[in-house]
Amino acid sequence: MRYQATLTVNGIPYPVEVEATASLLRVVRDVIGLTGSKEGCDDSECGACMMLLDGRPVNSCSYLALQADGREITTVEGLAPGDGLAPLQQALLEAGGVQCGYCTPGMLISATALLSSNPRPSEDEVRVALAGNLCRCTGYTNIVSAVLRASEGHPAGTPG
Amino acid sequence: MATVEEPRAAEALFIRPDGKEKVTGLGRYTADLNLTGQAHAKLRYADHAHARITRVDVSKARALPGVLAVLTHEDVPDVKYGGMVQDRRLFAKDKVLWEGDVIAGVAALTAELAEQAVSLIDVEYERLEPVVDFAAAEGAPLVHEDWESDSGDDTMGRDGNRIGYSTIVKGDADAAMAEADVVVKGRYTTDCSQGVPIEPRAVIAEWHGDRVTVWSSTQVPYAARAGVATVLEIPESSVRIVVPLLGGGFGAKCDFHFEGHVAALARAARRPVKLVFSRREEFVAVDHRREGMVIELETGAKADGTIVAHRGRLVLDKGAYCGEGGFFAQMAAMHACGPYRMENIFVEASLNYSNTQPSSSIRAPTAPQTCWALEQQIDELAHALGLDPVELRRRTLIEEGAEGPTRQVFEKLGMKETLERAVEMIGYGRELPEDEAIGVACGWWPCFGAPSGAYVQLHSDGTGTIITGAQENGTGAVMAFPILVAEQLGMSPGDFSLLYQDTDAAPWDMGSCGSQTTFNSGRAAIAAAVEVREQLLDAAAAKLEVDREDVELVDGEARVKGAPETSVTIVDLVGEGGPFHGKGSGDVPEAPECDAEGCVGRLGMESFLAPQLITQAAHVKVDRETGVVRVLKVAAAHDSGVIVNPMGANGQVTGGVVMGIGQALTEGTQIDAEGRQRNPYLLDYKLTTAADAPEIEIAWVETPTANAGPKGSKGIGEPPCVATSGAIANAIRNVIGTPVRQLPMTPERVWTATREGNQ
Ligand code: FES
Ligand code: FES
Repeated sequence: MRYQATLTVNGIPYPVEVEATASLLRVVRDVIGLTGSKEGCDDSECGACMMLLDGRPVNSCSYLALQADGREITTVEGLAPGDGLAPLQQALLEAGGVQCGYCTPGMLISATALLSSNPRPSEDEVRVALAGNLCRCTGYTNIVSAVLRASEGHPAGTPG
Repeated sequence: MATVEEPRAAEALFIRPDGKEKVTGLGRYTADLNLTGQAHAKLRYADHAHARITRVDVSKARALPGVLAVLTHEDVPDVKYGGMVQDRRLFAKDKVLWEGDVIAGVAALTAELAEQAVSLIDVEYERLEPVVDFAAAEGAPLVHEDWESDSGDDTMGRDGNRIGYSTIVKGDADAAMAEADVVVKGRYTTDCSQGVPIEPRAVIAEWHGDRVTVWSSTQVPYAARAGVATVLEIPESSVRIVVPLLGGGFGAKCDFHFEGHVAALARAARRPVKLVFSRREEFVAVDHRREGMVIELETGAKADGTIVAHRGRLVLDKGAYCGEGGFFAQMAAMHACGPYRMENIFVEASLNYSNTQPSSSIRAPTAPQTCWALEQQIDELAHALGLDPVELRRRTLIEEGAEGPTRQVFEKLGMKETLERAVEMIGYGRELPEDEAIGVACGWWPCFGAPSGAYVQLHSDGTGTIITGAQENGTGAVMAFPILVAEQLGMSPGDFSLLYQDTDAAPWDMGSCGSQTTFNSGRAAIAAAVEVREQLLDAAAAKLEVDREDVELVDGEARVKGAPETSVTIVDLVGEGGPFHGKGSGDVPEAPECDAEGCVGRLGMESFLAPQLITQAAHVKVDRETGVVRVLKVAAAHDSGVIVNPMGANGQVTGGVVMGIGQALTEGTQIDAEGRQRNPYLLDYKLTTAADAPEIEIAWVETPTANAGPKGSKGIGEPPCVATSGAIANAIRNVIGTPVRQLPMTPERVWTATREGNQ
């Protein structure tokens, strides 16, 4: 059984027809064609699929597309202003927080949510906020320092 | 000895060329690609770990509407393939040998249909006793009944369920052991574990007439090309492998895996076919895990710590097939000796088949487990001698002029300096709460010399492109090539684009394995740049009417040395002449000389080329009531030669250490009596998270190294996870007073050891 829904992703409304069981991740990747969000486990264990739903981070693999009907979804593709990079994205590159990049979209979503609710997090707060995002490459060190760099009031931070 | 620690300019400036597409989410990994008209593949795996196949009926699957192709062994050439032993077929024929053996493949219009078709395939078996206890595999039912007819490397010492046997022999260990003042013995066992790249693998194949293009998340595109050509009996020139962005590998994506199945399905379906693995398949179906081991060590020393005798008996779990892990017995035997001066040695290592997932290279194969055992053994020896473990290492680690396990005489190396740096960074010897302690471990890993090739070409606007066979798995090794090339040409790294991961574009390369990318492929890129450099110097000399010896390339110009105003820009030279392009391979360094006459199973690892040296120190806290271990800090001091890209190198260490922590404490695949994995999910196979990862302090002991890679560099990628488990083990022992001899050192095992130690 397929249902009509409207998913608003990164500010653009997409009318879609989806199975009741389809995950938000599947629909955004396969139907809407935004492949930035990754599938690492399909089991709410890795965080690679993270999206913001009305500003709150969710594992989109374990979220039904229909539950997102009419709500605001932000994926990694929606983080950069125009052709530039968001401060967090820039900080991640400069700090060496990107290796294979597969965890990166989810990390960016988690960190964006953290900084919007807590603009000056401590290192421990960053680590706890990112605990749902597995990274096998970096050992997290450079990701954590990137988030701190991008946070408000940090000497190297670029607020806004 | 040069120890460079101050941050250098390159550190702040290096932004990976592939970084922007990764942070914006616009970069494409294999699973992100879709081709017009593509069908979806699913594989039918064995239902048992060891069984004879008596009947396979695919008729119901073929009859399902929307199914385009169903293939079994009957539909592809009867070819056996594999690394050092050719013991595997694309689709199982007579027997299944582990739970991930592939019996059939399906291509259908949707993934759901393909899944349904797979479940409609009827397979009947005669069940056989699975060989799960690899240490008892000799004498158990044969895993490969026809092993004698499998072609393979004769030096491995194959015999029934034993696929490899190697020894390291030096002097007379028995006689020397009898003379030792102190002898310690230890038996250590390790669970197998997994690479767990966060990207599950994906493969897409599309045929164009008789040629096939395969997009694959592989670390070794050239090996994948050879594999497809072999199993489908087509020329390598008919196979093109393209690797989109690769979401990590850690060895798990080395070797030829599923490209052949998907290419065969695409040919039969007459459409592009896409296969994407689930996380469960990434655990269960991948023929690539870290091997389980049993390690027995006996070490004898004089009262002053001199190690006079060392004996070892190691058994490694090869799993069902050889894959590219045929060399493991000898590699493990070398690691059982470690970077120590030992006067007499007898170490034997057996690599045994079993009916479980094949073991193959996962980041520094065999080394972390063996190092974990040996480093505990060294600490036990120190305790028995009444010496501080660090002091014992000071007295026994290798140094310039020392002799290795096969009498390789080492050139300049920074082993002892890594020890001193690690000890200093961790604050060894300071007072700690009684539930905290520090442990230290040392290790090593060789560089692998291998052929490689690269092209460099300049464009009319003074930019250039580097075309390399090297593969990027996330480490950034390839990303550093523009630094190496630009330096030769007086240009800037930002002037260069990179073309890589396309077997039609660039010469053969081993791939992103063996920490060899900078070491070998970097050398090739430099050689190609040197050719271009010569062309530019010729052109500039003619243009400026000076001797070419007087011309230098600096800041985008060719100038006369000492008279920089006499110059021409590289842009002008390229605009007026050319073409400027070069190719290079670089010279492959020879293995160091040694005396391995008494050793058997010699596969080329009996001496270690340009060894990378490691000391890590871990500060841990142990909850004696629960056995839970928390790592508070790791200090990692490495001699990887001269560091080309500090930010990239540091990232390898932090990543490797955190992987090492997982392997030390939580990462173990449990296998039941039937040969099945019990925890093939991230919920039960726990990786270390950001909240659990400790502070990691790094020091590079940059030793100018003979026979090294570009600028005196050695490899970097694998060593960081080698010594971590050993350092943590020794720290735990220093808290609870007794060693934990099973890896991973789970709370239950730590708790049990604590209790037994107290009795
Ligand atoms: S794919 Fe959603 S949490 Fe892993
Ligand atoms: S960068 Fe590879 S998983 Fe995080």
